Amino acid sequence: MEKVLQNLIVALRGSGVRISVSESMDAMNAACLTGYSDRKLLKDSLSATLAKSQHEKEIFDTCFERFFSLDGFSDTKSDSCLKPAAGLGKEDSPLSTMLLSGDNAGLSMSMREAAQETGINGIWFFTQKSLYIQRILQAMGQEGLIQDIQRLNNEDSPFSRQKAGTLKAAKDLLFENVRDFVEQQFSMFAGTATEEIIERYLRHMKLSNLEQRDFHRMHIIIQKMVKRLNNLHSRRRKRSKRGLLDIKKTLRESVAYQGLLFDTRWKAKRLDRMDIMALCDVSRSVEAVSRFMLLFLYSLNEVVAKTSSFIFCSNLVEVSNVFEEYQVEEAVVRLKRGVGLGIQLGRTDYGQAFLDFKKKWLDAVSNKTTVLILGDARNNYGNPQTDILKLINERSKRIIWLNPEPRSFWGTGDSEMDRYLPYCYLAKECSTVTHLERAIDFLLGMGG
Amino acid sequence: MKSHHDQKFRSIEGIQQGFEKAGYVCSRQIAATLYLAYHLEKPILVEGPAGVGKTELAKTASTYLGTPLIRLQCYEGLDESKALYEWKYGKQLLYTQILKDKLNDILNGAEGLTLSMSKLHQYDDIFFSPHFLEPRPLLKALQQEQGAVLLVDEVDKSDQEFEAFLLEILSEFQVSVPEIGTIHALSKPFVFLTSNNTREMSEALKRRCLYLYIPFPDTKLEGDIIRVRVPDLSETLRVQMVSFIQQVRTLDLKKVPSISETIDWARVLVILHSRDLNPDMIKDTLNIFLKFEDDLEIVRGHIHDMTEKAKRGF
Repeated sequence: MEKVLQNLIVALRGSGVRISVSESMDAMNAACLTGYSDRKLLKDSLSATLAKSQHEKEIFDTCFERFFSLDGFSDTKSDSCLKPAAGLGKEDSPLSTMLLSGDNAGLSMSMREAAQETGINGIWFFTQKSLYIQRILQAMGQEGLIQDIQRLNNEDSPFSRQKAGTLKAAKDLLFENVRDFVEQQFSMFAGTATEEIIERYLRHMKLSNLEQRDFHRMHIIIQKMVKRLNNLHSRRRKRSKRGLLDIKKTLRESVAYQGLLFDTRWKAKRLDRMDIMALCDVSRSVEAVSRFMLLFLYSLNEVVAKTSSFIFCSNLVEVSNVFEEYQVEEAVVRLKRGVGLGIQLGRTDYGQAFLDFKKKWLDAVSNKTTVLILGDARNNYGNPQTDILKLINERSKRIIWLNPEPRSFWGTGDSEMDRYLPYCYLAKECSTVTHLERAIDFLLGMGG
Repeated sequence: MKSHHDQKFRSIEGIQQGFEKAGYVCSRQIAATLYLAYHLEKPILVEGPAGVGKTELAKTASTYLGTPLIRLQCYEGLDESKALYEWKYGKQLLYTQILKDKLNDILNGAEGLTLSMSKLHQYDDIFFSPHFLEPRPLLKALQQEQGAVLLVDEVDKSDQEFEAFLLEILSEFQVSVPEIGTIHALSKPFVFLTSNNTREMSEALKRRCLYLYIPFPDTKLEGDIIRVRVPDLSETLRVQMVSFIQQVRTLDLKKVPSISETIDWARVLVILHSRDLNPDMIKDTLNIFLKFEDDLEIVRGHIHDMTEKAKRGF
């Protein structure tokens, strides 16, 4: 039974539940305590020891049900199988005997044993399925069965021909059952393995090359990333501010030393959470990446409390409310189309966008604000209004520019990146999720 | 803790019955987790929406076991000196003053600083001994000879530093006091940690605990809870009000009514001598289980339908 529990734990890990060694030991102890006779009780106790959050509980429930589902050997055509039960011959192989006598429990057992032998829990890719089916069939003694069928076909009597036919039907049925079993095991053990590979691949892919079908997956990756980064940085760290004595605390400490100010205590100041203003270019030149930039902004909006988001093309509009009101997919589509936002999707005009920003929102920029600009700085040879960027730089804590183009392209053609560069605290190429992650890690690490 | 209460934790059904007698109706899952926690000697991390009886569970456990309940309410900025121990500075000071003469006696005859110091060293740690230790909840829980129920309430409100500090107590049932050494539990306490999910607890903490999630109860369980907690309420009214509350929970509200609020409402109905639900009476008492004006507005619009449904037996 221990082996079964271990397999369950492997399956759970595969589905994304993190289980440590000590937890699996707890689970074994719990199972020993409660016994295996009461299914519901076993489930409750394993759930208490293995799944440690509400989300994990849900995964556990489905995984447990699937793992311990009573998948007896199903035989849809049982009648035809069972009829010649009397015709068991001495020379029949064990597998044929079981098939002929309709010993479903025995077949199920033997299939599971065979699966254990072939190491089914190592299945990773869907391409391995047929390999495992063959291996299991072999381990169950398929060869003997085939030989039996051949021998019976050669024996030229109506009885043996009928028996051969039955065996053949039973063999097909056996194949189906094993296939279902492997399918089920695959979904249990390999589901996330494949997912992980795709994910790893997507992380390093250029955002502009991503396709529609990966959109949903990308969203999950970005959300995961933002959540992880936020977890990492959301802790409010105290930074001690030397030079200001905390009189109250020091006096209290000094009681132990007869009132001598022996152990001095200093005032600590909490670092403020960050305040971000993000400007995102949605023009045609960055069309391919803008959707992911928006996706990213959406996630940022969810986890960082003080974020205001703007999009611009020929002019600039605030869109924070769109992020709050709509679900992610709808919000991104709305922003890309610019429905009812008053945005003009004409020629990209960074100059105008900065002018708009100066007119309406510059007052909101304080020395705690980080201004984040996502765009390629291609201004169609218009006035770049660098002095406004300079002004923003002076008022804000810092400007961070994430450009989807590689650095060698900056300043070529109508790109004004070189002129904007002096006012940016940090300017980075940002064309894959990994880039995005690094930039944001940096951003959050600075405490906003 | 172990040997004292083995009888009470012999079976899951026994736990369920015992808790019900103490006024807490627990589902089988809760009972099973309690059973495991007792036998594996592990703390339980209880999560769930506010007001489903997380704290109540610990209180009842202490009544059931007949051991004291030691409660530590967590908040931002909670530190060791408030949770574990503190030196009794005042007492230390007072004693040094009182014993001043005695000190003279001891040092009498000692010549030179070195000699007096070495004489003093014979008595070195008297002022930093257990007599001057002010135990705070965590230490107190370890010192109970008959065992105790330790409730670390709303652990998610504490800082991460404190969470890390809890780890030693939770896994080894011991704490280290630098001046004295390691203090082991005389009898392992039964530990409950509750969390409202305002932040995710660390992996390390979760690993050391059994996890229990208490959701809102279904109709039957909630009915049972009301029956045990408010026995004066008539059966028909109980069925109706539980059905009403269950319907309210399906609405899109800012804060859905919790079990404790259902209990409060049941008590109010008893005080008002209500026979059965009627819309006017509900309208007057809505504010007992709804705490936001917006929510009140939403529910008021549905009162008539929901009362009808509740009366028809839903």
